[in-house]
Amino acid sequence: MNTNPDTSKSGPRPYANPYLAGVLLGLVLLGSFVILGAGLGASGGIARIGASTSLCLSPAHTLGSEYFGKWGTQPMNYYLVFMLAGTFVGALFSALLANRVRIQVERGAASPVMLRLGYALVGGLIAGFASRLAQGCTSGQALSGGALLLTGSMVFMLCLFASGYATAWFVRRQWHD
Amino acid sequence: MTNTLYSLDALGTSLAFFMALLLGFGFGFALERAGFSSSRRLAGVFYFTDMAVVKVMFTALVTAMLGLSYLVAAGWISMDQIFLMPTIYGAQIVGGLLFGVGFAMGGWCPGTAAAGMAAGRIDALVFLLGAVGGSILFNELFPLISGLYTAGDRGVQMLYDTLGMSRNVFILVFTLVAVAAFWLAEWAERTRTGHSEYLGSPFLKAFSVALVAVAAGLFVLSPATTNSPTPQTSSHGTTARDETALLAGVEKAGDHIEPEELAARLMAGETGLVLVDVRPAIEFNAFHIRGAINVPLAGLAEALQPFKNKGMVVLYSNGMTHPAQARDSLQRQGFGNVYLLTDGLQGFRERCLKPVSLRLEPLSASQAAQVNAWRNFFAASGLAAKTGPVTTVTPAETGPRLVETDWLASQLGASTIKIIDLRPQPEYNASHIPGAVSLNVESLRGNVGGVPSMLLPAPMLAAQFSLLGIRPTDTVVLVAGDKFHDATLAGMALERLGHANYAILNGTQAKWAQDGRPANAMLPIVTPSEYPARQPADHFTVDYRAVAAKVGKPGTVIIDVRPVEFYTGKKSDEARAGHIPGAINRPYTEDVATSSNMVITLKSREALAAEYGQVIPSQNTEVIVHCRTGHQASQTFFVLKHLLGYPNVRWYDAGWTEWATRMELPVVNKAKLNTPSK
Repeated sequence: MNTNPDTSKSGPRPYANPYLAGVLLGLVLLGSFVILGAGLGASGGIARIGASTSLCLSPAHTLGSEYFGKWGTQPMNYYLVFMLAGTFVGALFSALLANRVRIQVERGAASPVMLRLGYALVGGLIAGFASRLAQGCTSGQALSGGALLLTGSMVFMLCLFASGYATAWFVRRQWHD
Repeated sequence: MTNTLYSLDALGTSLAFFMALLLGFGFGFALERAGFSSSRRLAGVFYFTDMAVVKVMFTALVTAMLGLSYLVAAGWISMDQIFLMPTIYGAQIVGGLLFGVGFAMGGWCPGTAAAGMAAGRIDALVFLLGAVGGSILFNELFPLISGLYTAGDRGVQMLYDTLGMSRNVFILVFTLVAVAAFWLAEWAERTRTGHSEYLGSPFLKAFSVALVAVAAGLFVLSPATTNSPTPQTSSHGTTARDETALLAGVEKAGDHIEPEELAARLMAGETGLVLVDVRPAIEFNAFHIRGAINVPLAGLAEALQPFKNKGMVVLYSNGMTHPAQARDSLQRQGFGNVYLLTDGLQGFRERCLKPVSLRLEPLSASQAAQVNAWRNFFAASGLAAKTGPVTTVTPAETGPRLVETDWLASQLGASTIKIIDLRPQPEYNASHIPGAVSLNVESLRGNVGGVPSMLLPAPMLAAQFSLLGIRPTDTVVLVAGDKFHDATLAGMALERLGHANYAILNGTQAKWAQDGRPANAMLPIVTPSEYPARQPADHFTVDYRAVAAKVGKPGTVIIDVRPVEFYTGKKSDEARAGHIPGAINRPYTEDVATSSNMVITLKSREALAAEYGQVIPSQNTEVIVHCRTGHQASQTFFVLKHLLGYPNVRWYDAGWTEWATRMELPVVNKAKLNTPSK
């Protein structure tokens, strides 16, 4: 159903077959291994934005800090920052093609907007922190490291799903219709 | 065989940035196609309403895993060319558990949130802002949690090794598990929502069979497990095998040596045992296990090349993380004889050097005697073994330093003061500081391995200083003429010999003359000495490989001290014009002030500290200085290391002369357009 008359005559097109989309994603990942010699990553780029923000706020403190400090004065000069930018553009391209761009807070119909945004913010905070601790997120550790059969990455993935399922029940209200 | 950008150490180049952008595009496109721009769809996995996450993620994982395995089997790529993340149980278990909470709460993960933001999801933007905040929070809390960050570090571990399976069997099992997960996911969706698009469909059946068939095909293509990145090399030399046998009784793991065992071997003076301290030089100088050599991690493989699979190499640091990583890296490069000191220096101190009186556990008389023997051998000699005969003088007075003319005037005639005049010989012949010997600084340099103007190896330098009558106990005073950096280059030669007790006359010979200090034209009487050549290489010189390894990597500042027009590439008298990517320009001439009558003095320490504080982020930042031949950069080295006290300064002696001719090395030429190396 189309509630946004000025985007297109037809509504958003359905998603691709998940298995075929998975094959496509796997081939991109394989390309990353072969060309870069490293897997895909997203949280690395986000952390660089964090370091850059921190540098703007307090340069001396940031450069002197143990973790961000070693990234120097130009933390954005890093391949994963470019990959993150590419991810955004690639997704935008696909979403436009399929008429799926909708400015919205995605949530259950019965869920207050602020509840959903509050969960998103806190969830982001925890995920951002956790991906620094584990040196990667679902992309860099679970997917890329998993495909390389690295023990730590597989352990990370297992723990991620275990605690995700354990948490889901407590935060289910945001999806209630 | 293709080279990955990682294996070329080129992940910091603009080419890598561009490729990352393209791959990111594909990544984002695939994520959005899969519907991962919707948080509801992502979160559905946790409520069994939409299992797309499982289907897409495991399909992608299996596709890349199988694809890579086929490429490796076909010899197109080697696992060594791919960055393999270490397994750090503590960090990854806690990180994974936390991450799952964030994922379920937020409905996004970092990559999908970028896709979601592209599709207009405000909750994705908020999640990303949270993730940026979480990264900053991590940095702020890092001092508190750095222990967890490295807790349970096992280096690079492959799951099939951890589980004791062959790679091919593991891949087949994993593929079967993934296929089973797909069917379970479809079944869960049908149970939960009454609808499943693919359960029992011909597509899913065909897809499942295809994946398993491709996985099974690996047995045909690469029957052996030759594609493991850390093969248990059967090429251990016979010595290494003997060592393994010797160690069998005391080792917990095959790659560890216990402190007591190491102590016994060192005290027995075992030949073929190379003990390597991989900590920063400043910590090494403060204390190290007697007999250890100090090699920074960056140059480890190269420095240890002579000992590859000969005898036994033992690495240690304060803890275990760095040596473990280094050992894994060395093993991948074919070193079969590298061991770790269990619990590192901390363990050695605790188990061997801790005095009997401080020990909680009761010791038998023979155990106490053993501890005392260890302490006598190791604890007493930690410092003295390094600095040689210098005894009671404090380091501040014996290290490389800048001195003024009045100090030198007060020292004239002292038997331990040796003055070296570095001006051209006619000027020396006309008039010099009484007792000064003449030395052409160019005689300290020569062609080393095809590279001209390299500081000579220690034995040759030792021979030269012996002819000048210099002894290890002397205070050497270096006096330059119109090139202040002649003195600092001579200083580098002394440092290569481990002779830290030298001083450079500020203001050079011209200041001495201007102050009306004594001078004559007499040749001094010199008794040649026998200056010992230090065995291990110095730790402040880096070669092009070490420099190339730092290009594009954050955390290291490369300073090109040549005049600005050579840096930009406007002028050049070398094979290529320009500079090392990422290098900053700080001409050596800016460190000195030259007055009208050729008195050259270094700028004040405060002024230099302020100026270098602008370009070097922190005191502990690693700095590499270079120029064309190493001459000018020796001055910057002296300023940074000895005047301003930056501990991690390295000198790329071969400099631009070498870098420009190695066509595989990247160059930035601002005079032309950027010329990428590949």
